[in-house]
Amino acid sequence: MSHPPPSPIYTLRGAGGPLNSLHFRCYGEDAPLLFSGSGKGCIHIWNLNTRRTNKVIEGHSGSSIIWVCTKRSKDTLISQGRDMQICLWDLGEGRCDLLDSVWTGSVGFCQCSMLETSPISSLLAFAGQQTEEIKIIELPSKIQICTLMPVAKVGMVMCINLFQPDSCPGPLLLAGYEEGSLLLWDVTQQSILSQVKAHPDPVMCLTFDPTRLRGISGSSEKNLSSWKLDEKNNLQLQGGVTLANPGVSQLCIREDGKLLASAGWDSRVRVFGWKKLRPLAVLQYHTDMVLSVAFSDHQDPRQRLMAAGSKDQRISLWSLYNES
Amino acid sequence: MPPNMPQISDPKIAFTYLRPACVLLTRDPTVTNVETLHSQLKEVDDATLQQLQDYVLFPLRFVLKVPGPRREQLVQAVVEAMCHVVHNTCIQSLETLRDLLCELCLCISSPTNPGHPSDTSEELKLSVLRCVDVLLHAAYGDIVFRLFEAAMLPGVGATVSLLLALGEKEKSRDIQAAALKCLQALTVQCDCDQEHVEPSSEDRCLAGGAMASFLPGITTTMARIITGDLRQGHAVTVKAIKIWSTTVGLVLEDTQLQSSKMMKTPPTELGAIRHILVFRTPEWVKSTAGKLCVLLKKIISCTSAHQHWRVRLELVELADHLLAGCSQALGECVGPLLEALVGAINDEDSRVRERCEVSLRDVSKRNQSSSSQTFTDILSENLHSLSTSLPRLMRTSDDQKKLFVLNVFLGYFKVLGPLVSLVLNSSAHLERIFKALMQVLELDVMDVRIVEERSSRTAIEAGPDSRDFYTARTQRKHFLYFTDERIHCVLMEICRTLGFYGNLYLLTDHLLDLYRQSSAYRKQAAMVLNEIVRGAAGIAVETQDHGLERDAMRKSASREDLKAAVMSVIEEYTSLSNWHLITVSEETDRDRQDQQLLSPLSLLSISSNPSVNALQSTASTSTSSSSSSTIHQLNSNIWQLCIQLEGIACFAQVLGTDFRSLLMTLLYAVLEKAGEETLMVSQAALSSMLDISEACGYPSLRELINDNSDYLLNDVSLNLQRLSQHPQAPRVLTVMLTHSDHTLLPLVGDIVQDVLMALDLSYDHTATLFCSVLHALIKALVRWFPASQSMTRKSGAFPQRSNDEEDVNIRQFLLDYRKQKELSEGIGIEEDDLEDLAASPPTAEENVEDIYDPDVKAELPSHLTITKDVMERCIHLLSDPSLRLRLKVLDVLELCVMVLSERENELLPMAHRCWPALLQRLTADDPLVVLRAFRVLCTLGEKCGDFLRRRVSKEVLPKLSAFLARQAPISAKAGPVYTHTLAYKLQLAVLQGLGSLCHRLELGEADLEAVCDACIPYLSCRQPIRLQVACLSVFRHLIQVDPDAFWFTLNELHCPFTYTPPHPDLQPIKLSGMNRPRDEYTDNVLKLLREEFHSAAETGTKESAEGAADS
Repeated sequence: MSHPPPSPIYTLRGAGGPLNSLHFRCYGEDAPLLFSGSGKGCIHIWNLNTRRTNKVIEGHSGSSIIWVCTKRSKDTLISQGRDMQICLWDLGEGRCDLLDSVWTGSVGFCQCSMLETSPISSLLAFAGQQTEEIKIIELPSKIQICTLMPVAKVGMVMCINLFQPDSCPGPLLLAGYEEGSLLLWDVTQQSILSQVKAHPDPVMCLTFDPTRLRGISGSSEKNLSSWKLDEKNNLQLQGGVTLANPGVSQLCIREDGKLLASAGWDSRVRVFGWKKLRPLAVLQYHTDMVLSVAFSDHQDPRQRLMAAGSKDQRISLWSLYNES
Repeated sequence: MPPNMPQISDPKIAFTYLRPACVLLTRDPTVTNVETLHSQLKEVDDATLQQLQDYVLFPLRFVLKVPGPRREQLVQAVVEAMCHVVHNTCIQSLETLRDLLCELCLCISSPTNPGHPSDTSEELKLSVLRCVDVLLHAAYGDIVFRLFEAAMLPGVGATVSLLLALGEKEKSRDIQAAALKCLQALTVQCDCDQEHVEPSSEDRCLAGGAMASFLPGITTTMARIITGDLRQGHAVTVKAIKIWSTTVGLVLEDTQLQSSKMMKTPPTELGAIRHILVFRTPEWVKSTAGKLCVLLKKIISCTSAHQHWRVRLELVELADHLLAGCSQALGECVGPLLEALVGAINDEDSRVRERCEVSLRDVSKRNQSSSSQTFTDILSENLHSLSTSLPRLMRTSDDQKKLFVLNVFLGYFKVLGPLVSLVLNSSAHLERIFKALMQVLELDVMDVRIVEERSSRTAIEAGPDSRDFYTARTQRKHFLYFTDERIHCVLMEICRTLGFYGNLYLLTDHLLDLYRQSSAYRKQAAMVLNEIVRGAAGIAVETQDHGLERDAMRKSASREDLKAAVMSVIEEYTSLSNWHLITVSEETDRDRQDQQLLSPLSLLSISSNPSVNALQSTASTSTSSSSSSTIHQLNSNIWQLCIQLEGIACFAQVLGTDFRSLLMTLLYAVLEKAGEETLMVSQAALSSMLDISEACGYPSLRELINDNSDYLLNDVSLNLQRLSQHPQAPRVLTVMLTHSDHTLLPLVGDIVQDVLMALDLSYDHTATLFCSVLHALIKALVRWFPASQSMTRKSGAFPQRSNDEEDVNIRQFLLDYRKQKELSEGIGIEEDDLEDLAASPPTAEENVEDIYDPDVKAELPSHLTITKDVMERCIHLLSDPSLRLRLKVLDVLELCVMVLSERENELLPMAHRCWPALLQRLTADDPLVVLRAFRVLCTLGEKCGDFLRRRVSKEVLPKLSAFLARQAPISAKAGPVYTHTLAYKLQLAVLQGLGSLCHRLELGEADLEAVCDACIPYLSCRQPIRLQVACLSVFRHLIQVDPDAFWFTLNELHCPFTYTPPHPDLQPIKLSGMNRPRDEYTDNVLKLLREEFHSAAETGTKESAEGAADS
């Protein structure tokens, strides 16, 4: 007999808008933090010890923030807003100064993807001005590395994931498009390595596990589509999961590769075992679409948390399957 | 003799001067002669007198030696003269000293037995004793000590026994004191302010050796004196204690005993005296110490709780003296001595306390320097035996004794100081001490009132303005084994001291073990824990700042330690099984509903969930046992909660602002209890909240709740979704709302949606629970957003009308009347309309429209949105089958109306929507509901005015009037049983509500008349009395609305006076009530006329004129 679904250990209120993006930073000595980007253009920095906001950054002139991330090395926060800007913030020693910003020209909802190539530099991929265009730049120099533009008609780019596989010298990029296709790009060659039609509808989100070379993507319909990258860098569909209600906003795999969480439009977060995609729990707390999920990067696995951000302006924090 | 007369300083002149008197005295020993000599002696100066000492003393001594019966007066004169001589000279030879001493003693001892006093007069005894004292002081140092030579022993012995006898047996206090003083002088331990010889160590040794012979006598006698008559003055007792201590100190002095080995060889030439000589061998010392111990215990038990502080001080001195001088020789006495000392450390007199502290410091210094474990060992041994006997003592002795015993207990900890943690490391001690505390602190939980006292909802929901609610302190605890509050204080101080010196982790662990171990210990353990944590933080602990280098030695509990300890304790306190205790015995309606709400869900979760199973099973067992649980158990639960809440307050005090981080989880738990039904628990929780807010630096409860509302609402929101496990969540919200202000609204708005959603999901089960939340919510909204001034003024202006009436003169009245009449006929209506429009006060609604663009539907302020949402639910709930719920909903509805009155645009549609349901309540429901519905209707009428008037007059009044009219003859004829019928209750309810309804709604004349007609039958004295009273209230309201009309109506029924018009031109007044015989209506009509129109006779003429004009 299974356990009943747990309740959130805590909920964070007061974001004042739908929560499009969540990002944990819980390693190191400092208090664990959670960054949230809201539809009202605010980045909240939540202290998970006091469960209150440390700071609120309003940097995208009120436009919805669709992505927040921090660099591992420094106190740098990157945020992407729908004002077509990507901003870099310095958070060191209690500051929150705008360091730099990049104009994307993208009007879509595609979240950026960042790959840290060395302690100081990183690659940032984002959707460009043309709807199917993806640009990759190097940070902090902002030098444009390449522009990836599919020849075939696949529609607007919906979601991207930049990663560095062990087998290849250069980084690869996974991109999901409006028409339902997934493309695997070789960034250095600027060529398509593989293409697969994963969904009949637009690919809303995807996530990829570089260690197992497996990924999963969600769409506006009921199915999650799982796929694998073989030795020749070919994408192979592996089947997937059918959900009770259609629509997934975000997918996230826990760092240890054991859990997958999906943010459903039916206001539920679903948790699966990542290995076999076995459904484990349906977490019901929110009263509106769940827009984002994230797993924390606590060093102590017992402290690991999952956060879900919803259109109902709340963030719920969950402690899941931490016993082992 | 004048004092400044020059004294004779030449020995020769003095000799010739004194000689005749001396010679005369020798020849003829008479009182006169003695007195002559005495007066002459005063004229000789001291140095000269010294030279003539022997010569002068001779005749005096001669008189004493004369054989045959002695006359007392003569002896006394001689002794006094002798006293003068000795006082002013020194005794240089041992013989003189010995002889004088002997002769003096003989004066007052019985001739047959030299060791016993004769029955001479008290004056003589006193003189002799004074003289002996003077003599001993006058003796040269080297001579005095020769008294202690073995050869002198018999003589000295006689003196000693004489003095002892005098000290013990005499009735006169002065003699007793004087005898004891002499004894002190004799043992070279005098403490008077004259100069004394400083004995060398050999001298002391000599004296000690000699006194050893008398030690048994002296100590037993002194002990008898000390433990003897309580009425004897404290001076005697103090002296006796002093002698006891000095004598023992002298004889058993450690330094002497160590060096007295060479004294062991007894002088051979002594003969018989040898038998009374005592040699202080180790064996003798040991056996003496044993005997002394018995005496000492008697003394201590008698004096440690003595009334007079000097006695207690002397006891401290004794303990100090003996511990300092002869702690080794005394052996087993050290324990009792320490106990005496320790017992005095908490003495109520500061002088005793200070002396004791100094003494204890010395003791522990000596102990440390001697590096022997013995002192600590003795202390901890004493402590162990005391803690063993403590429960027994607490059960058997009286409060005074208990207090003392506990003071001793406390004293041990204070003396041990930092060593407490060492002592507690021994598990035997640890267990013994805390078991004792557990037993002593057992609470008396038989008081039934504690269970019965309920905090009425209104008290919980009372606004933050009710001060007395805040100041309500927790009830005093009643203990099983003592009643004195001071005992409780000492016990708490013991705990704090333990916490201060002990190892915090060890103590909390041990106590938490006890806490878990048995429910019998739980309350006490919690009490002790609370104080220990306080003590560990140094709160309310008397730290001797000049103490035993304590600051250096004490490992003060660090903030981290404290926090860790507090957290573990709090975790235990607030754990499910210790926090959610049953405190209510009979399930009230509400509880039953709660249970109903819980049971199906909990059953579900039992079946589906093994991990929560434990939780559910505790819940279910507790519910099943709740019916059988005794008051005793409930009472105990209540106390446990109170103590735990107190503890939380303590911990807040300890951690200060650090406590804020704990509020995240804790505040919810405390608020849960603040919403509890049992008065004591909710009060304890409130006072705990106050303490927390103070400790955490919040200026008031409001800030505490507002600043932490995010934490609270988080839990409330989560728990609302799992009501089966957390039925308290709505109550927490209630408490929050009660104590907070409108800044809470944005967050609350969020929760309200949760509440409403939870309510919508299951109306059947949760309605009652949520209704109280909604009630609290709307009540808070009413408080936070008071209705605008204009609204209140509008209603306030109304009742004043009747007062204004007095000043109206007839002319003005007639003019107004004409104008009204013209108006009603349509003359000059246009201009008046304009006037009306201009004059109509700008209502809030118009203000609003000024601000917001009327075209755009402006977003409502959130409190109005919430109210509308709530009101919507109320409409549904108005027809709920539960009577209580309906009543509650009506209350909520009334409050909703008050909030919404701010916006007529919102209010009217809502009023329209709820009208049908409300109408049902008004016309076809339980009388209680009818009454409540009337109140709502009145409020609604006040706020909506016109909107409602027509509906009321069309739909409500006819039904009610008809009902009243129909029922009136029935009730008039009915017997006493009728008052138990539903019809009666309904009649009563309608009558009670009708008046204010008419008043508030400003009904038209026709309606008023209808009401009046329906009510008049109830003015009959044949109606049940309560109906009459209710009817009178209707008329009182009606009279306020339209005094003239109803004056007339009443007078039509019965008119007690005849009115003559002021002017013959006016028609004579004819009222149908005039000259009527007394009938069933007379009493009530007269009552109304008298009360409402003051004295009908006084205003009769004026009223009559008005009446005439009216008709």
